[in-house]
Amino acid sequence: MKILKLELLKLRKKTRSWLGPILVFWLIMIAYPLTVEFLQEKLEIGFFSVLWIAILISMMLAAEDIFTEDFNDGTLEQMMIKSSPFSILVSIKTLTYWMLIGVPISVLSFIFSFGTTENFSLSLMILPLSLISSYIFLNLFVLGNALSLNKGSVLGALITMPLALPVLIVLGKSLTAIQLDINFISFILLLLGCLSIIMVAIPLVVSYIIKAHLE
Amino acid sequence: MNNNSLITANNVSYKINENKLFHNLSFSVNKGEALHICGENGSGKSTLIRIILGLTNQTKGEIINQSLNKICYLGHKNALKNYLTLEDNIALMELDTHKNLMQYVDILNLKKHLDLTVSSLSFGQQKKLALLRVFLNQSDLLVLDEPYVGLDNNTHLILTNFLKNELEINKSIIFTSHIQCDIESNILEINR
Repeated sequence: MKILKLELLKLRKKTRSWLGPILVFWLIMIAYPLTVEFLQEKLEIGFFSVLWIAILISMMLAAEDIFTEDFNDGTLEQMMIKSSPFSILVSIKTLTYWMLIGVPISVLSFIFSFGTTENFSLSLMILPLSLISSYIFLNLFVLGNALSLNKGSVLGALITMPLALPVLIVLGKSLTAIQLDINFISFILLLLGCLSIIMVAIPLVVSYIIKAHLE
Repeated sequence: MNNNSLITANNVSYKINENKLFHNLSFSVNKGEALHICGENGSGKSTLIRIILGLTNQTKGEIINQSLNKICYLGHKNALKNYLTLEDNIALMELDTHKNLMQYVDILNLKKHLDLTVSSLSFGQQKKLALLRVFLNQSDLLVLDEPYVGLDNNTHLILTNFLKNELEINKSIIFTSHIQCDIESNILEINR
């Protein structure tokens, strides 16, 4: 809890880091209707594709400097020396970023979805999908950021982007399931299964990668 | 192996790209003892410190660390957040609840800067803030890499007196320094 509180304090004061990705998401969603005709059906056709891509891009931006600053100023060295396992610290850091960026973006997803489709129950089902997918994407980009810690975040994002493609496919399929009123929960369970593996595996891998970088 | 020993190094060697930095170093640091690591620039003092801390792996040999509590480390990088105030940085270092905090803030002349961001401080003032981590430590072992760099005479004296007191209460210190210090210590000279 103490680490979470300290990470929240750090991120709260670093407005650019959390507000930037949220604003980018907001701008993409605002810009989308301007590029198509204002007919309800036309808007709905591509809306969800844009929504998933916007979440993906926002999470890529969110993870951009998750370790860079701590690496440069020596905070990571101090964390490594502490007795608590470093992978737990990575998990908490990722959770903090998700709470401050992923959760607001998911709420915005619900609002934009309702604004576009005018379908409350559909929009409500978008909320868990956004919450889970944003956490999965964030973890993947955290891995990318750790891999390219001293080489810029773009390289890391390019390396991990292909890992996000299966999640995008599942998101597309789950939306079809919602629209056809077939078993939507199984897709949520599938995403939760992926998330549980990722939540355990990625912090472990990231902690080894950062150790190697510090050497 | 001595029961009183916190750190024991046996034949520790390190090389980068077949270039030997140091070879077969053996030493031990007992409770209440200080080890002063000396050497020219680039001789590997900081690398040895990082090996002791487990941040870097030695090429050969072993380091046995028997300190039970966490180690207090002050490195070249101060681990301070430039965009945060001194007060927030103190909270991040988890020192905000320490009973002697204000006493040291006062001694180091940082009291009037508490609301300022770290980026507005000079290098020496930033170093003083980082030193709070050392002054308020709760560790058995202090590992300090060039702790005197950037300090004025007064702070130099405060730090020296503090380290002497720490030795008296049976804490151990490993430090590197180019400057002659008034601390009773074993000397480990590294030459390439």
